[in-house]
Amino acid sequence: MIQEFSVVGKRLPRIGAAERATGAAQYVADMKLPGMLIGRVLLSPHPHAKILKVDKSKAEKLPGVEAVIAMEDVPRKAYTRYPYDMMAPAGVTVMEVKEHHEFYEDERIFNDKVRFVGEPVAAVAAINESIAEMALELIEVEYEILPAVFDPEEAMKAEAPIIHDSVSHNIRAHLPVTFSAGDVNKGFQEADHIVEESFRTYKQKHCQLEPSVCVAHFDLSGRLTIWSPSQTPHVLKKKIAYIFGLPEGMVRWLTPIYIGGAFGGRQSLTNEPICVALAAKAAGKPVKLIYTREEDFVTTESRQPICYTFKLGVKSDGTITAIQVKTFTDAGAYYSHSGATTGMSLQQCLWVYRCDNVAGEANIVYTNTPVSGGMRGYGNPQAMFALEQIIDMAAEKIGMDPLEFRLRNARGTGEPTAVYPPTPIENSALHECIELAAQRIGWSEKRTSRKDGSKRQGVGMASVQHWTGAAPTLVEHSSAFIKLNGGGSANLCVSSCDLGQNILGTLAQIAAEELGLQADDINIVTGDTDVTMFDSGTYGSRSLYGAGNAVLGAARQAKKQLLERASEELNAAPEELEVRNRRVYVRTTPERSMPIADVVTNATFNSVGQCLDITGVYTWSTLNQSANFNATFAEVEVDTETGEVKVIKVVIAHDIGRAINPAIVEGQLEGGAVQGIGYTLTENFVVDMDTGICLSNNFETYRIPTSLDSPEIEVILVERPVPSGPFGAKGVGEAGGVGMAAAIANAIYNAVGVRIKELPITPEKILKALKAK
Amino acid sequence: MKRQSAKFVVNGKPSEIMLASHMTLLEVLRDQMGLTGTKYGCGTGSCGACTVLVEGKPVLSCLTLAVTVQDKNILTIEGLAEGNTLHPIQKAFVDHGAIQCGFCTPGMILSTKALLDENPNPTRQEVKEALAGNLCRCTGYVKIIDAVLAAAKEIAKGRQIT
Amino acid sequence: MPFVLSPFEYLEPKTAEEAIRFLSDYNKRAKVLAGGVDLVDRMRRRDIGPEYVVSLRSIPGLDRVEGNETKGLRIGALVTLRSVERCATIRRHYVSLWEAVHQIASMQVKTMGTMVGNLCVATPASDVAVALLALGAELRILDPAGERIVPIENFFVGVHQTILQPSEIVVEVLLPSLPPATAGAFMNLVRTAADISKVSTAVTLTAASNICKDIRIAVGAVAPTVVRAKQAEGTLKEQKLEQKLIEAAAEAAAREVRPITDIRSTAEYRKETTKVLVRRTIEKAWERLNA
Repeated sequence: MIQEFSVVGKRLPRIGAAERATGAAQYVADMKLPGMLIGRVLLSPHPHAKILKVDKSKAEKLPGVEAVIAMEDVPRKAYTRYPYDMMAPAGVTVMEVKEHHEFYEDERIFNDKVRFVGEPVAAVAAINESIAEMALELIEVEYEILPAVFDPEEAMKAEAPIIHDSVSHNIRAHLPVTFSAGDVNKGFQEADHIVEESFRTYKQKHCQLEPSVCVAHFDLSGRLTIWSPSQTPHVLKKKIAYIFGLPEGMVRWLTPIYIGGAFGGRQSLTNEPICVALAAKAAGKPVKLIYTREEDFVTTESRQPICYTFKLGVKSDGTITAIQVKTFTDAGAYYSHSGATTGMSLQQCLWVYRCDNVAGEANIVYTNTPVSGGMRGYGNPQAMFALEQIIDMAAEKIGMDPLEFRLRNARGTGEPTAVYPPTPIENSALHECIELAAQRIGWSEKRTSRKDGSKRQGVGMASVQHWTGAAPTLVEHSSAFIKLNGGGSANLCVSSCDLGQNILGTLAQIAAEELGLQADDINIVTGDTDVTMFDSGTYGSRSLYGAGNAVLGAARQAKKQLLERASEELNAAPEELEVRNRRVYVRTTPERSMPIADVVTNATFNSVGQCLDITGVYTWSTLNQSANFNATFAEVEVDTETGEVKVIKVVIAHDIGRAINPAIVEGQLEGGAVQGIGYTLTENFVVDMDTGICLSNNFETYRIPTSLDSPEIEVILVERPVPSGPFGAKGVGEAGGVGMAAAIANAIYNAVGVRIKELPITPEKILKALKAK
Repeated sequence: MKRQSAKFVVNGKPSEIMLASHMTLLEVLRDQMGLTGTKYGCGTGSCGACTVLVEGKPVLSCLTLAVTVQDKNILTIEGLAEGNTLHPIQKAFVDHGAIQCGFCTPGMILSTKALLDENPNPTRQEVKEALAGNLCRCTGYVKIIDAVLAAAKEIAKGRQIT
Repeated sequence: MPFVLSPFEYLEPKTAEEAIRFLSDYNKRAKVLAGGVDLVDRMRRRDIGPEYVVSLRSIPGLDRVEGNETKGLRIGALVTLRSVERCATIRRHYVSLWEAVHQIASMQVKTMGTMVGNLCVATPASDVAVALLALGAELRILDPAGERIVPIENFFVGVHQTILQPSEIVVEVLLPSLPPATAGAFMNLVRTAADISKVSTAVTLTAASNICKDIRIAVGAVAPTVVRAKQAEGTLKEQKLEQKLIEAAAEAAAREVRPITDIRSTAEYRKETTKVLVRRTIEKAWERLNA
């Protein structure tokens, strides 16, 4: 039965589009508050050094300078920028939560030694940018330079300099074999063929167009207000309170409805602690801490470089008998998300394909480089680059079409998800995705390599399982509140953050559908932790599903109250009523109806004293996962004389459950795909191996795709609604780019028979590999 | 640092600004004139978020000394709509899903205007060429290019009617 | 990295002579401003900190393209890259220059940036310089003593270094008229479309009855300056054009260059692809001759 919706499924323009198109949209950098000071930060030029002395005196004397801070001026509380230590993993007691977050805490606002080039050492707030910059130049820092190490394999050696006290071999964490099952040795013995290979990935930078920025202000009562384009306001608010020793109620976190992109880089604390510390010293004046693009590149996080050594056993009939993975992760100077992404990455490697014997382990290593953190895909793009190539290699070994191999082996509905602890996959439409996308790219015709002079064409694929939220690894929840207004509109109060993905508009579509209103009737109230209820955050492809379910629950509650009131006026039982087109109807006799607006007004101004504000509030939490799936295909052309790769076409078919707003879903897949292409071919975060200086710290040296680099992209939305999702919807925010590197690598192999196992796949590497053949 | 009075014509309106010679056009627009639609994205002229039109041509305001564009007609994103009526390019961006986070949008729309004023019927490739100086990290450019082509059609239709 | 530039005094001379006078007076404390794309960027990075910025924008006559393909073309110091791209004469008769400018991705950079300014920045990866070198361009330089004409191959001295003294300005690029039966081409390799070239080549080929009368092969991003591959040229001059000889010339070109490894590419790759690009560019020019 095809369901007819009036708002859900419609390609409505994103809310706030006109404001963005006219320059009216105010981002944090556009804010002007009375008395506002400009903050700038001083960064370490050394990769590893003790801070012996910071002389602020000359800077403090400069007219126009109102605050200069260094180590002695800020709380000494250790913390981690990683947000989720504040949240419990499933099945963990309160006591264990305390230990859990202490496990992560390896940094302070200004550390007593710097551990990467670009680490903040001091900061100033002044009446304008020029004076702030002059003041920075007047701060004198005395360093005791220490030996540094930049490569994770070097860092693990016995003779390497130790970056964090008592962390021997710089191995911050060793993820043991909890992800393992069965007996891999037995599995390898059962195999007819074994494929082994190692893969390397690099740090990718988010490169969101809006550079890092923050405003903070302590009012006269000591209450702190923060304006930050963050993804996790409620969690980070708690963190700031923790670091600064404030009661949580004394911290108010404001998130603008205009954020210039995040892609996971705004989950963590970024520059808020420094901004708050400046505000604390600025005698009641607000401070706007601004970063240049170069500062944003090194002071905020980047995607973990993870290296994999894979061994997979396969029978001639295509059964996978054993999977063994050893990985190491370059965490950079502080731990942050590296444990979490490595864990997610390992899980993906071991569990997306059906196999009884799996074993994995990981080392997470400190190096004197900028911090590795959360970025869209969160370990899955790295994992798929390795896994999906191993799968192709295994298929080739047994002479099977890699597409068939995946259809045969990918876990599906009812089988365990790859998120720990595993829950049953609610529904997988992966097979359908693979078949549709294969047909659209022309898989069977194009698999035989085609020539055109020195150019060779090929196609490759990756199949992707991605999470919708991080449950049950993390206990996540979202809350929503709805109130109906006189006149028939509704206010929807949620804490999801609009990073560009129009989550607020899409949540409004859900509310409107349930309440029988139009999307324009929903006013969004958001962005203020004093008003909004808790939401774990906007990350992990979870918001449409998680906050959406909260919104649906709140809307149902409000509708219940609405129908109870309407039943009195329409003389019918509430169960006989329904809402649509802004009216309440008696289902069987629709000529009996009344406007929702009138029900609300009559309830508010009730003549017999039974006054009621019609509202709904709902907290939604889950210990289950509803994984989303996609098939990513790429067609490439390789110039065998120059090694250049041109991506001709990309087809992604995504198992979305239900596309609440199809245009928005397409935009996520298209944007993710192009980020994936950049990750695969042209981006590279380069640290000088002698000095530790980031050589790729702006858009000239770090190259993201331009319009001319964007290929033909076709996205197919496969809608097989899942019962647990709002109107059947699942997540999509991260999945567009997850399979891209593998699809391109596999396509290159199809075209020219060389397999590049290190990202980025550059023409230099391809040409070298072709010559070696 | 010497400041002198300078006349700027922005979005059709003249203003007197106290200008120092080392100020960029981006600073003048954002800090002195309160026109914050033009953005700082990179400071090296690579991202195009600071794009404005000077005499109808797209320039990077972060690399333009304000003193060199006195007495020239400057169009920022705030000057494109007429009251509450969006320009067809703005409307096309809104309708075609070409706006996600919106940070690249002002520069992208102005580069589009410069293109369509010069080449009212561009091919998809010509659109890509015209926008290659404007980086977008959200959309993958697909719906932006769709929006530009749709805007071209709308504008052409408008011309036929008048 | 700062947001704000350091203060300087801005000067807008009304004649070229006045500009030269300022530059002589202030010597190394002054810098010339044309489009500003490079100057403002370097000032912001604090690579340079001039006390005086001498703008050429009010000097009449510098923003014109004059002449034609039979008399030769004169391109003034303020002519933007975009104007070069839109010039029909250049598109038709100096194709390699047009191709070099056209592949510069940013419309804004082409709108602001001047061709002469690009040459004065003297990056070894300048696509425009490569094309002009292959076209045998000359530069008219104004100095306190008067003016002189310098062939472009004598203009570049090192990375970001030209023969220009602080009190000198380039006022014009002179493109010679090309002999009949001449064709050219430009090619390059980049990471993304907006990136600086890893390797670039330009060729100007004059041939009759498939005998190469003259050839200029210029290569960029593979030495401290853009260079002519003279040995490669020597392989082909006065010879009958044929595939094996073109390949030999390309190999000679690859031997003549001294590329480095940097963030964009490796020395090994640049050497290898110099050979490929030179061969392809010669082939393209030859193909255009026969068309």
